[in-house]
Amino acid sequence: MSKKKATKSTLEPLTVARGVGAGDDWVTVEVGDLREAMATLKSDGYKAYGFVTCVDHLPAEPRFELIYQVRDMDRKRQMRVRTFLPADQPSAPTVSDIYPPANWDERETFDLFGIDFEGHPDLTRILLPDDWVGHPLRRDYPVGGETVDFSEDHATWQTAPERA
Amino acid sequence: MGENLLITTLGKLVGWGRANSVWPAQFGLACCAIEMMHTVGPNMDIARFGSEALRASPRQADLMIVAGRVAQKMAPVLRTIYDQMPEPKWVISMGACASTGGVFNNYALVQGVDKLVPVDVYIPGCPPRPEDLVNAIMILQEKIKQQGIMPRV
Amino acid sequence: MEALATPKGIIITRSPGDAAGQQWLTVNFGPQHPSTHGVLRLIVDLDGEIIRAAKPVIGYLHTGIEKQMEALRYQQGVVVTDRHDYLSPPINNLAYALAVERLMGVEATPRAQALRVIMCELTRISSHLVYLGTSSLELGALTAFFYCMRERDTILTMNEEISGFRMHTSYIRPGGLMADSTPRWLDMLDQFVTTMPAHIDQYEELLTQNPIWRSRTIGVGILSAADAVEYGGSGPMVRGSGLAWDLRKDEPYSGYEKYDFEVVTEQACDCYARYKVRVREMRESVKILRQALDTLPDGPINVDDRKMLPPPREELDTSMEAVIHHFKLFTEGYSPPAGDVYQAVESARGENGCYIVSDGTHKPRRVKFRSASFNNLQLVERMSVGSMIADLIAIIGTADTVLGDVDR
Repeated sequence: MSKKKATKSTLEPLTVARGVGAGDDWVTVEVGDLREAMATLKSDGYKAYGFVTCVDHLPAEPRFELIYQVRDMDRKRQMRVRTFLPADQPSAPTVSDIYPPANWDERETFDLFGIDFEGHPDLTRILLPDDWVGHPLRRDYPVGGETVDFSEDHATWQTAPERA
Repeated sequence: MGENLLITTLGKLVGWGRANSVWPAQFGLACCAIEMMHTVGPNMDIARFGSEALRASPRQADLMIVAGRVAQKMAPVLRTIYDQMPEPKWVISMGACASTGGVFNNYALVQGVDKLVPVDVYIPGCPPRPEDLVNAIMILQEKIKQQGIMPRV
Repeated sequence: MEALATPKGIIITRSPGDAAGQQWLTVNFGPQHPSTHGVLRLIVDLDGEIIRAAKPVIGYLHTGIEKQMEALRYQQGVVVTDRHDYLSPPINNLAYALAVERLMGVEATPRAQALRVIMCELTRISSHLVYLGTSSLELGALTAFFYCMRERDTILTMNEEISGFRMHTSYIRPGGLMADSTPRWLDMLDQFVTTMPAHIDQYEELLTQNPIWRSRTIGVGILSAADAVEYGGSGPMVRGSGLAWDLRKDEPYSGYEKYDFEVVTEQACDCYARYKVRVREMRESVKILRQALDTLPDGPINVDDRKMLPPPREELDTSMEAVIHHFKLFTEGYSPPAGDVYQAVESARGENGCYIVSDGTHKPRRVKFRSASFNNLQLVERMSVGSMIADLIAIIGTADTVLGDVDR
């Protein structure tokens, strides 16, 4: 596997950390600089949209990591932007006016993780019924379903996992 | 005794008629729906069994083939469609997800459609082959013929 | 009946009502509907016959696949990846397998790569056959459906020959493949590649110059290339608008750079252009299949890494290490180093990707599927506002969304 060195990008003043993981370029920014970072990327040529999602690092702090993946079709490169949110204040500014497809992805992240996107035009549940309580993809939410006796995960995962 | 003979003969006639003209309601949800499409296709041809017309409206259908996984959001919709079908009606639960929740033992799926509607035939498989669906329809035809003209309690 | 009412969060603009007291009519489209390609619900505002808004409501097939993957080990997870985009299971498997292989730092063998390309191209053809069959069924051309199902049965029989499963093959796994090809399968593939172009000619004979098909699809569902990229489209949605973007050419994976094929584009930006793109893509896939079959290299199908794949069963009689590897792999599974990776592949619908976050344990911390249909579905509203209600069926068909992929 080739070892790529992380090159400096136009996001340099905002970058808290950068790296190359398994061949993918990534940068970390502060949540306050997120909108500026995404707008800079878009004007730099990263016009095609990848996805927006969240990773729950319970029990580590900061707990939530938002991931933004965008792509530059002309120069054939991709960029991943990360930002970390603490468990007691999981909120970030929306980027749905910069990248319109992020509208639905942010709704999905709100639905499944409970992240509040400030400025989103319509932050409601998209995949689960409107009256659902809880955010299923958080690590302290059980997998659910029917309990399966005599399986290794039975007591720890199906009902209430506190560790991965 | 004469009256019983009339009822059973009439019952057999009605049962024969109903069994050979079962019209499914289109209720394909996920991957099993694709195998249901293959059963409608030229290789298996469900029209041989009288199921030529897959009606879009449940009000004009007798059979609901629940083909696919039933999400929590879809459950009330499924029950509404079932309630809209006129009697006599039957349900085939096609595939592992519709029968028991399948591969997905989690928060998002109803673990078996028999929690919502009464099921007549279960088909295991993920997805079941078109031949399995044809077999289930033939089993259902036997069940319908035995039912005769008695209403289902 | 609450579940069937208009959900919260649907912003529907309503005509305030003009002097004659006319209002827009809100029609509920689905989730049980013959033409929505699955459990899609659209809330359509109609001004007479003209569509003013068409808001999708999704989630009726939400399966919790991403949560389920966190509860499964890496080698178990491949079974679940088949089932989100259920019209192209091997392509989903490939995205997951390539992502895990990149995390583990291994690369598949040449024979495995060639067989993976063959399975993916067969799947691309079978997915486009479903698109063609169901779209023409919904617009009234019933014959094409039966023709397409006939060919698709041939492809599914080939899937069954090589993996035992017709649809959800789980054939492409991290580290290699499930099993090697059989001589019978190679013969079936050879025969398929020889006869398929004539079948594609049959479909074109039915539809391409058909005046009804043309009048229902030409000029319908206009989507400019800039709009398609701006609003997240990929695959035939952008290629039908003139943009030559195909991940198989632009970011090749699994040995696609060895094969000679062209990226099919059309300039007209309407439903007919996307139909032509998909039919021509079927022909290009047949070309790739012929090349892959003729140049299929010999060799092993699995990487030789005992920390990832189990040893052959004969070795269990003689080698203690083989027994230990076998035991560890089947009870605990392998643990990729901590990190994350995103692998995108070109599915029949567009960019389908798998983003895996590993925390160093034997189960992933997070698996996210970037689904082409989730983003292509957002284009449906853009394409349909201003058209007639009957065109909405053609537009949903041309978007070729799979609701399992949208809802995951």
